[in-house]
Amino acid sequence: MTIASRLLVIGAGPAGLEAAAAAADLGTPVVLVEAKDEIGGTPLAYYATLTPHLQETHEAMQGMVARVRQHPHIDLRLGTRVVDREGEAGHFQVTLEDKAGKRTVEEVGAVIVATGFQHFDPGRETQLYGYYEYDDVITLVDAEAMFKTGRIVRPSNGQPPERIAFIQCVGSRDRQIGNQWCSKVCCGIASKQAIEFKRLLPQAKVFIFYIDMRMYGFWEDLLYWKAQEEYKVNYIRGIVTEVIRKGDRLLIKGEDTTMGRPMEVPMDLVVLSVGMEPSAGTREMARIFGLPKESHGFLATVGEPLDTVSTPVPGVYVAGAAAGPKDIEDSVSMGGMAAAKAVGFLNRLKVAETV
Amino acid sequence: MTEKAKPVELDVAYVDGVKLTGPWNRMFEPRVITDYDLNPLEAITQIPGAESLGYCYQCGKCTAVCPIDTVGDYSPRKIFRRTQLGIDLMDSPDLWLCTTCANCLRVCPKEVNMIQIMPAVREQAVAKGNAPQELLTAFENTARYGNPLGEPPRRRADWVKAAGVPVPILAQHKAPVDVLWWVECYPSYHPRGKDASVALARILHHLGVDFGILGVEEKCAGDSQRMAGETGLFEVLAEHNIKVLSKYQFNTLMVTDPHAFNAFLHHYPKLGGSWPTVHYTQFLAARVEAMEFTRAIRKRVTFHDPCYLGRHNGEYDAPRRLLQAIPGLELVEMGRCRENSYCCGGGGGGMWMDGFAAQHLNMRLSERRVLEALEYGAEVLAVSCPYEVSRFEDAVKSTGNAGRLAVLDIAELLAQSLGLIPEQV
Repeated sequence: MTIASRLLVIGAGPAGLEAAAAAADLGTPVVLVEAKDEIGGTPLAYYATLTPHLQETHEAMQGMVARVRQHPHIDLRLGTRVVDREGEAGHFQVTLEDKAGKRTVEEVGAVIVATGFQHFDPGRETQLYGYYEYDDVITLVDAEAMFKTGRIVRPSNGQPPERIAFIQCVGSRDRQIGNQWCSKVCCGIASKQAIEFKRLLPQAKVFIFYIDMRMYGFWEDLLYWKAQEEYKVNYIRGIVTEVIRKGDRLLIKGEDTTMGRPMEVPMDLVVLSVGMEPSAGTREMARIFGLPKESHGFLATVGEPLDTVSTPVPGVYVAGAAAGPKDIEDSVSMGGMAAAKAVGFLNRLKVAETV
Repeated sequence: MTEKAKPVELDVAYVDGVKLTGPWNRMFEPRVITDYDLNPLEAITQIPGAESLGYCYQCGKCTAVCPIDTVGDYSPRKIFRRTQLGIDLMDSPDLWLCTTCANCLRVCPKEVNMIQIMPAVREQAVAKGNAPQELLTAFENTARYGNPLGEPPRRRADWVKAAGVPVPILAQHKAPVDVLWWVECYPSYHPRGKDASVALARILHHLGVDFGILGVEEKCAGDSQRMAGETGLFEVLAEHNIKVLSKYQFNTLMVTDPHAFNAFLHHYPKLGGSWPTVHYTQFLAARVEAMEFTRAIRKRVTFHDPCYLGRHNGEYDAPRRLLQAIPGLELVEMGRCRENSYCCGGGGGGMWMDGFAAQHLNMRLSERRVLEALEYGAEVLAVSCPYEVSRFEDAVKSTGNAGRLAVLDIAELLAQSLGLIPEQV
């Protein structure tokens, strides 16, 4: 059987876009499938600005998006899902379905799964933060929607909040919930948002309640120190246990652990720093391609920490947050790495075929 | 059978202004934090110089080296947290307990700089008259008499009568000198300070140094007043001293007091007074070869690094070179020495707030240090800062160790070994 020369990339977020463009640049024809009608993935869909440099997301991702849209070797299929697969490495027959229900079968030699994560649903927490109960309890994602409008208000009354609290690790690092991982980016995103709140509402008092601040690498001073030193954001060690209503405000209850004292402090707006979980698409691709999951439920790779993109299934690679919590830098790096591995794999199959 | 001791139960008991009356063994529950009133933190960090208080990320490294925390509940980390909780540093005892020893800054990853924060915030408190009375008295004395002790200015050079060697006073000397010796206040007036001055005068004479002093024209260099919040007073003193010093010709300014040394190195130049400046231990260490020691001192001697000679200005070796040159002397180092040296409690205005410190701490820093010297087997505690002789001698007595530990200035030990003064130890 002839080896298919095309590469299928599933998901057009930062990882998928980089993977598609890199493989196409290397001369491999790419079919890029995206379930949504836009490319750019979660950052472009939900985030007003990117961490850590706070560039406007559309501006920052413009080049990446245009490169894929204009690439002669990329066959972009928007509003399209992978619904079935037959065959093995070198000759996968993949069934695609568009929104109208029209199905086509494409033959590809290798696959990169870049189907990403979904934000943790705070209705599922063990704590009592009341996301579905109190209008003024929002998530990082809801806050980004407000930043896009440039207007920060309490959803309950339309007034600007005077006191804003971030609660870290919502849906992360929690055995009861079943999410035992750190989602890596929430400390940085909360710090980024705290800076944005202070830019828009300089008089507001902004607090971040945390268990451990995990500001790895340059985020330490680019975000954490900057928020604290330049924007007077208050970091309080001690996580909030519950949020209760008091008058028209919210009372957050927890322990201030460096003082060793309980706290019950009024707030106007509470932002839940929700973590990452494997997206529905990621779980679906695991089923369709028979990809094993690692112990946390993300797509497993072989040979970590030295190989971050090869799955145990020959010819199938993973990039970005489908493989676990990732920041954008990691996702894009994995996209390039997955492209290199997939193109190399296809080349080796072709050489074997001609011998 | 001995009777069990009965607990003392006061009808009304106040500790640090907090009423604690009640059954002696009741549980104290931590008070709930109901607000983080950020106004004090924002007000403090807006004061120029005090911005870095807001940089603290609560690692706690300062607490382990803060000398005040060993005798109380205190460190920059705690000060930040209390301020973040809404306790106004301007009204808190925390503002006056820091001795500006700089050990916290040495270890702080965020460069929270108490050496800048303290004088900046204190300056505003002092301007409102909101400072311990003892400190205000020391400021008044300094302003009125040119010394914090309140001694008459005209008697500043009286100690030279006991020197037994010529100590030229420049106003009468009418000739340039090689070395202008900045004596400073405690070495001019305090009985034990004067002993060290006499010893140093005799050593300079022994070495044939061409030196002179300013005598009554000298006023307090003012560095500790500056650190305690009296920047205005410091500037007045500096202006006077710079004017006087500018009248005379000399090659080197030799300073007895590390605090004055610090002022001449870092702060007088900004006000137009800049001279080649050395601490007396540096001056003597460079001439140790010329010293003819005649008496051995067969003692175990330990050395307390002054904060403003060591950590503030990086000189750790000159005092040790001098001590090691003394025949028979065995130098033993305490655990906290050199860069992590402990503090005598006198810096940053601590010299004049003994009563205030006693109200808020369970022991004087000088007492803690004396116990450490004894723990390491020292028979003599050698010092090179004029605050320390009196502080440590008092501490030897108050800890019940009279006769077990002698406190001597390095100048006294050198002079004894050179046969220039009667034996002290």
